[in-house]
Amino acid sequence: MVTTSVLLVFGLSLSAALLLAAASRIFAVREDPRVQDVEAILPGANCGGCGYPGCAAAAAAVVAGEAPPEVCVAGGMDIAASVARVMGLAVAYREPRVASLICSGGDRARQMFAYEGLRDCRAEAMLYGGEKTCGLGCLGMGSCVRACPFGAVSLGEGGLPIVNKALCRSCGKCAEVCPTGAIRITSFSASLLHVNKLDECLAPCMQKCPVQLDVRTFIQQVKGGDYRGALLTLKNRNPLPATVGRVCPHPCEDICRRKLVDEGVAINTLERFVADWEMHSGQRVPIHCGPDTGIKIAIVGGGPSGLACAYFLRRLGHHPVIFESRAEAGGLLRYAIPEFRLPRHVLDWEVQGILDLGVELKTYMTLGREFGLADLEAQDFKAVYLATGAWKTPPLNIPGGDARKLMGGVEFLTGIGSQWSSLRDQCVVIIGDTNTALDCARATARMGARRTVVLSPHIQRKMAANKEEIERAKEIGAEVLFQTLPVSIVSGSSGQTNVWYQACRYEDEAKAGGAILPLPGTDGLVENVDLIIAATDRRPDLSAFQARSGLADLALNPKGVLTCDELTMQTNLPHVFAGGEVRRGRSIVMEAVADGRRAARSIHLFVTTGAVPRPQEPQLKVIPESILKDMRVKYSIPRVVAPEIPVDVRRQNFTMEVRRGIPERDGVKEASRCLRCGLTCFDAEAGFEFAGDRDVKPHAGPRKENGNA
Amino acid sequence: MDYFLLVISAVFINNIVLVQYLGTCPFLGTSKSTDVALGMGGAVIFVIGMSVALTWPIQKAILEPFGLGYLQTIVFILVIASLVQFVEMFLKKLLPPLYRALGLYLPLITTNCAVLGSAILVQKNGYGLAKSVVFGLATGVGFTLALVIISSIRERFDISPIPQVFRGVPIALITAGLMSLAFLAFKGMAS
Amino acid sequence: MGRALKELTKGLWRELPPFRIVLGLCPTLAVTTSAKNGLGMGAAVIFVLVVSNFLVALLRKIIPSKVRIACFIVIAATVVVTVELLMQAYAYPLYLELGIFVPLIVVNCIILGRAEAFASKNPVFLSVLDGLGMGLGFTLSLTFLGGLREVLGAGTIFGHAVPWEAFEPMSILVKAPGAFICLGLILAGMNAYNRWTARRGDSDAPKALEAINSCSSCGLCKLSGRD
Repeated sequence: MVTTSVLLVFGLSLSAALLLAAASRIFAVREDPRVQDVEAILPGANCGGCGYPGCAAAAAAVVAGEAPPEVCVAGGMDIAASVARVMGLAVAYREPRVASLICSGGDRARQMFAYEGLRDCRAEAMLYGGEKTCGLGCLGMGSCVRACPFGAVSLGEGGLPIVNKALCRSCGKCAEVCPTGAIRITSFSASLLHVNKLDECLAPCMQKCPVQLDVRTFIQQVKGGDYRGALLTLKNRNPLPATVGRVCPHPCEDICRRKLVDEGVAINTLERFVADWEMHSGQRVPIHCGPDTGIKIAIVGGGPSGLACAYFLRRLGHHPVIFESRAEAGGLLRYAIPEFRLPRHVLDWEVQGILDLGVELKTYMTLGREFGLADLEAQDFKAVYLATGAWKTPPLNIPGGDARKLMGGVEFLTGIGSQWSSLRDQCVVIIGDTNTALDCARATARMGARRTVVLSPHIQRKMAANKEEIERAKEIGAEVLFQTLPVSIVSGSSGQTNVWYQACRYEDEAKAGGAILPLPGTDGLVENVDLIIAATDRRPDLSAFQARSGLADLALNPKGVLTCDELTMQTNLPHVFAGGEVRRGRSIVMEAVADGRRAARSIHLFVTTGAVPRPQEPQLKVIPESILKDMRVKYSIPRVVAPEIPVDVRRQNFTMEVRRGIPERDGVKEASRCLRCGLTCFDAEAGFEFAGDRDVKPHAGPRKENGNA
Repeated sequence: MDYFLLVISAVFINNIVLVQYLGTCPFLGTSKSTDVALGMGGAVIFVIGMSVALTWPIQKAILEPFGLGYLQTIVFILVIASLVQFVEMFLKKLLPPLYRALGLYLPLITTNCAVLGSAILVQKNGYGLAKSVVFGLATGVGFTLALVIISSIRERFDISPIPQVFRGVPIALITAGLMSLAFLAFKGMAS
Repeated sequence: MGRALKELTKGLWRELPPFRIVLGLCPTLAVTTSAKNGLGMGAAVIFVLVVSNFLVALLRKIIPSKVRIACFIVIAATVVVTVELLMQAYAYPLYLELGIFVPLIVVNCIILGRAEAFASKNPVFLSVLDGLGMGLGFTLSLTFLGGLREVLGAGTIFGHAVPWEAFEPMSILVKAPGAFICLGLILAGMNAYNRWTARRGDSDAPKALEAINSCSSCGLCKLSGRD
């Protein structure tokens, strides 16, 4: 009995062992032993943040070469380094990603109904997409809080979740459960290069701004006294806040919701206030840059667009080199905007700030003369950004348009101080309605001109120049003749030159639109003109883009500008990108900066992934539902007025800036006017901190009272 | 008809998990999502069928003739463990798609008492070979049914307002209790 | 010596199975129809756990790690067969009562779980203490659950009627649904207790909160820790 049982168990075990041994030989599947090693290194939390179902699958993918060693998002660089050691690979930097909330609405958002069901966002979303009207905001039921396996999300005051970035392991669970997409996972580089999308919560000002400045956030930071944070917010979109804060025509302020109540928030003034705060503190706020990638990128042109592109590429860790044909970087900001509008030391401060990040600047390098595309490729530049700007004034198609006394606007402004400094007792005619024209007018008046006449084909409201510019030009004594066209320039034998002009009208007089038609028989004459400045427009000078530069294959459109994709800036040569005025023609600084950032996005994608996908559903036009017709706001606060120096002081001074900064209290008070708008929500009680001020008045209510509202 | 009753009885009336309490650990452990539940269920059906078909002849041909019935437990578990191991290797080599679907669950099954339980039960009930295999497969189906039902219920727990202390295993157990109550009704109908 | 005491007592409260570490649910649910059955099952488990832990710890240096699970199973099965024979000899009514669940102790994950998690890594003496402590804890839990179900479901305790005339037993509690529901309620109570101690800042308990909500404590399956 004992013997049989022992024998049986022994025999059975032996046969099972033999069978399994044989089977393991026969059915052996070669398995890389490194899979287990890698799996042992991974944290084993099986969070799924890497996109593989669990750590074991991720380990298998790493060993199979399908995933990089830095696959584990939750583990961080130490784990990536250990995995890379097992695999014998070099570890690439993997950016940490964190959850962030895009909604700022919370309890103040308007509700369609009061939801009283399951305390869960997904359950609420099943009912008409939730109680909030905008349909993309946070529903505030805290599903993300419960979903977070690391306890990084908590529900804060105002019904919005707060992400503790130190605890977030970027697993994405919160974004997975969020039915509206209000919480999402984003990385530093992705947020730096983010292109606003149609399904985002964008205040009207943020929709209008070409560089998509986060106006709402930076103004709230100013209001809270966090100027440092405000500056960083600005610099995530705009590397030149001090410059833009001085010269931008600020379309954002025209669309500000506060205009329904009193006047738009002085966004531009606040931007300048924040940038000046940094400059006057004498110390730069450190700008975070990603780890070095060592990828070289050539940027042709050191104007605002080139600087912006270089700045963003540098922040992503790349190594941009700017090739500037002139002595200093800054482009038209330096050579065309006079000092009384943009002091040189401000521009120097900003350019130096960009160069200090590690951007290389090579001056006196002209494309097509000192170097060509082939040279850049030989020097291992992986991509090229063309931002050479628009410097050439188109010829005036009028008799005498080739007169000796005729000069281009940029040419005139560039030469001030070096080639000419006095126009004492001279008469100057400036043709055009651009900012350049008005800058010329303001400059000639300061240089002692006896008479300055500006011939603008438009009425004041329709002029291309900034409103302030026109006012300043008039203040200093320039005669701005609206709705006039030059007819001919007549040079007499005695050296005397006269300019004939004619009145004109719009094709559609009521709307002030359509073609501009001259009115014969309304001729006027400016006699004895000493200098004629043409500042009708600026065009890119593409003469350099010839065979010698290697760019002869670039596609041009009939208008004489480069053609490229307007969202990715990519030209028909895949590694060449172009942006700024070289593709737009004359435009504003912000557009140039915006092109620079878009190009940086495309170049970053191009050099890291090889492909340049266009952004999905980009917000290009104002979203109609965000334009409110009616609004209840409690306080009416007067808009801040930036002080200016008196007119007679202006005449004596070419370099003294006309518009000055605002004091701190005014800045904070102006910031408190901001309604912190979302797509549809806003703070009705904005400015209550200053309710005790004498100039703050309770607002009467909406202008048009709805019948039963 | 005999077989029909046998199947109905094994799947519903004497459901292996909800009435006989066998295989509760994997029942709770792998019932958080329906996909996992289906994979586990498939693997269990497969392994129970195989192990019953294998242990039945051993019992009849070796253990009973030699009077070694008391070695049943140790022999059966040895056979099942080897079988699971063998099947795992076999599938890995020859049927990789099936292995990817079931492989994850196979090692779990060695310690699934539903497998050993049904191997012993068929001997206790004195079924013939064919009946035993059918019973084994039906038992596996009953296990899968219970698992799939509870996993689809548990998927909804995420968005249900469950008191914090009941989250996780406690609420799953109570749900299983209520399901078990429902399955008891089959027993009532049968008797 | 302090270590030994710790290993012995951890099974009694800190890692009390199956309430704090969810291991071995099948017998917990199946045999706890009465306090006596719970006690009997617990005694069998104590025996198996102590002996198998002893053997595994003794052989831990010899067993190759590749086939260790199979070896653990064989050891456990051997001990279980011994228990079966012992019970048949000395406690036949109990053996009949527990039925199929005696052989199923083999696949009770508490045996393999302790072998894998503790005995295969620790010296013999500590492993035996671990087995004893865990077994005692398991016995206590089972007796408690069995007693609870017996009192409420049958109106008796260890076979003696409760001295409360008006009590109407809920017979559903001794059936399968009662097992699931009672255990669920006890685990929920355990959760509540853990939360209470965690809030009080007691550092001893909170870890168990995690364990209760997953089967990760068993450590055997590849699925452990997977959500």
